[in-house]
Amino acid sequence: MSEANDTRTLQSSEHLDEITCLMYIERQLERVRAAEVSAHTQECTQCRTLLRALERESRLLTRALFEEDEPLPARLAEFQERARRSMQWIWGVVVGLAATGVYALYSTYVVPGQTELEKAGFGGTNLLGLLIFQGAFWKGWQSVVTLLEVLALLTMAGFAMMIFRRRSRRGYVLAMLVATLLGGVLLPGTAGATEFRKGEASERVASDEVIHGDLFITGSRVQMDGTVEGDVFVFAQSADINGHVKGDVIAFVQSTRISGTVDGNVRGFTDSLFISGSVARNVLAFAGTINLDSSSKIGGSVTAFTNSPALDGEIGKDVLMFAKDISLDGKVHGSIRAKAGDLHIGPKAEVDGHINFEGDKDPSVPSQAKLAYPVEFKRWVHDSENSPRHYVWQGIWSAALILFGLVLFLLLPDFALQSVDNSERYGASFGLGILVLFGVPIAALIACVTVVGLFVGISALFLWYAGLYAAQVVVGGLVGQWVLGRTRELWPLIGRMVVGLILLRLCTAVPVVGGWVKFAIVIWGLGAISLSIYRRFAPVVTPPSGASTPAPYAPPPLPPNTTVGGIQPA
Amino acid sequence: MSPSGTIEPTEVVAKARAGDAEAWGQLYHDYAPAIFRFCRRALPSREDAEDATMEVFMKLRGKLVQYDESRSFSAWLYKIAANHCWDTLRRRKVRQDKETGDLDTVPLEHPDASQLEKLIEQRTSEEVRKALAKVGARARMALVMRYYSDMSYDEIADELGVRRAFVGVVLLRARHELRQALESRAALATGGAQ
Repeated sequence: MSEANDTRTLQSSEHLDEITCLMYIERQLERVRAAEVSAHTQECTQCRTLLRALERESRLLTRALFEEDEPLPARLAEFQERARRSMQWIWGVVVGLAATGVYALYSTYVVPGQTELEKAGFGGTNLLGLLIFQGAFWKGWQSVVTLLEVLALLTMAGFAMMIFRRRSRRGYVLAMLVATLLGGVLLPGTAGATEFRKGEASERVASDEVIHGDLFITGSRVQMDGTVEGDVFVFAQSADINGHVKGDVIAFVQSTRISGTVDGNVRGFTDSLFISGSVARNVLAFAGTINLDSSSKIGGSVTAFTNSPALDGEIGKDVLMFAKDISLDGKVHGSIRAKAGDLHIGPKAEVDGHINFEGDKDPSVPSQAKLAYPVEFKRWVHDSENSPRHYVWQGIWSAALILFGLVLFLLLPDFALQSVDNSERYGASFGLGILVLFGVPIAALIACVTVVGLFVGISALFLWYAGLYAAQVVVGGLVGQWVLGRTRELWPLIGRMVVGLILLRLCTAVPVVGGWVKFAIVIWGLGAISLSIYRRFAPVVTPPSGASTPAPYAPPPLPPNTTVGGIQPA
Repeated sequence: MSPSGTIEPTEVVAKARAGDAEAWGQLYHDYAPAIFRFCRRALPSREDAEDATMEVFMKLRGKLVQYDESRSFSAWLYKIAANHCWDTLRRRKVRQDKETGDLDTVPLEHPDASQLEKLIEQRTSEEVRKALAKVGARARMALVMRYYSDMSYDEIADELGVRRAFVGVVLLRARHELRQALESRAALATGGAQ
């Protein structure tokens, strides 16, 4: 209608109609038409009076609408407090769940484990303590200082990220953080006389060579016959350490053979580890096979995650082992704690401490073996899938998963919603999910091999493990939406998540197929969560300068009663 | 609207989006009175306005992730409130005004300007509020959106589901309704005094 009015030419003899006057004071007329109206009101008293009356009416309306004639009702004033209290309730649930979890872990694993370890002569340490302080990670107080430096760097980087987050592009900040971390990790190395050696096919340190610092050595085949006064880091297909290493040996090698002398620890991420020489301190290995030859001598403890270890040498302290089949035919001056399918003890075996073994089969112990204590054996119990206990536990796990989902959605509603939305990007979710499912634990385990990365690696593993459950919650949210319809509200979404999770648990309970369904769900959900995390940290493209500056805040304005061209009061 | 001054609450909104309960409480504290007043003017009863205010903030919680930081937060929040109030009114099947049907036939009459001026001069804010409660839902909604929350013609057209060109007519008709309500209140008052 206003456009229609705009097209008419105003005759000086005609009065303005009311809609034109209103459009004029509301600044909705085109410039030419507004100029005509302005000119007309200079001459026509009646129209000027009408304009003024409409302006006053606008002011009166705004004043009447804005006046605080009644205070905020008590119900609404309390709403904020209730919302805060509701958050406290959520925190209460979270803290309660966490406390229950810690207690359950403590009473189920730590206390019995500690008792057994004490019995086994580990001196009252727990598993983590064993790994860190008695295991191969421990390098003395110097390591603590390095660790503190790294933690301080991490904290500083975190603060820096918080400060710059609002002002900088996030990708740039992330790059800064990574650079700082890398700098922190590399700094202690550059301070020493580190030597780098890289050979295409093979690389050798001659027997008369002495390296006064750390050695980083790579090549298809690596042979170290000389002396290294620091640590040796090997990245190769096969490595033979025949010389003398005064520090640690850290090996990322397919096949590692140590026939020389290592004064420090051996940490191996390897397919096969063969030791026939001597290691003064501890051995930590993630390996397919471990073979400690009868001529080998380990001064400290052996901690291993492996398939089939053969322990025929001499071990000064304790053994902690997770394996498929363990063969023991050497001397162990400490205790043994092992979880494995089978344990074969040979006739030459000598064990001074307790042997605590959990497995499928009774351990085979020949009469010739010299054991200070009889083997304490605990058989693994496998629940039958048809037993009532199995279904009760399935129900309990489902309820726990729903509770976990509830807490997750209430704590991170935006993130949960975003993740559920992302799960509909099937290709991206599945692709990223596969990458995260397999990539994160590998990266975390690699990080765990170094002292610096231990805490980062363990934290990443915990997060990844929690992610496996969160993935089911996210997919549950989507499935619930398929069944009950879409929603953007929090509580309806939680309701849909619960329904979806129940349906998913039913699907995954189907024999044979259920396992694959669960596998697919985990990949899918992990991908969706990873996509949400990526989007949060992805570089934000700065909008054009005009749009980038947020409009200054202004309270609801006075009526738009200032007219184009200026209206002359009568 | 924000007691903190004239700056957009960008930081507070960002924290609230990240799930910070304190920031959420701050947003509620700063904006609840204004949103309650909006709902109070747009909806027929005080109870309706209280319910609507709470529901608007519950909606805000879910929608905060969609908020575009380049826009004014208060304007965006008013849009959510307007949307909610208009939905509430429509759900109750309030009498639909006939603007869309006879917008073209609205007479372009020239009212008696002096009489209009006199009417406005004599009325208080309280009388206007009481008269506002008597006008139709669409008219009231249009007046509140325009003269309380300063929504643009495009936004009003979008909310009410009319063409932008008719928003002026909707507003003019709303003013006419309001004037009639004011006049009838005045007549009643005069009658009562006699």
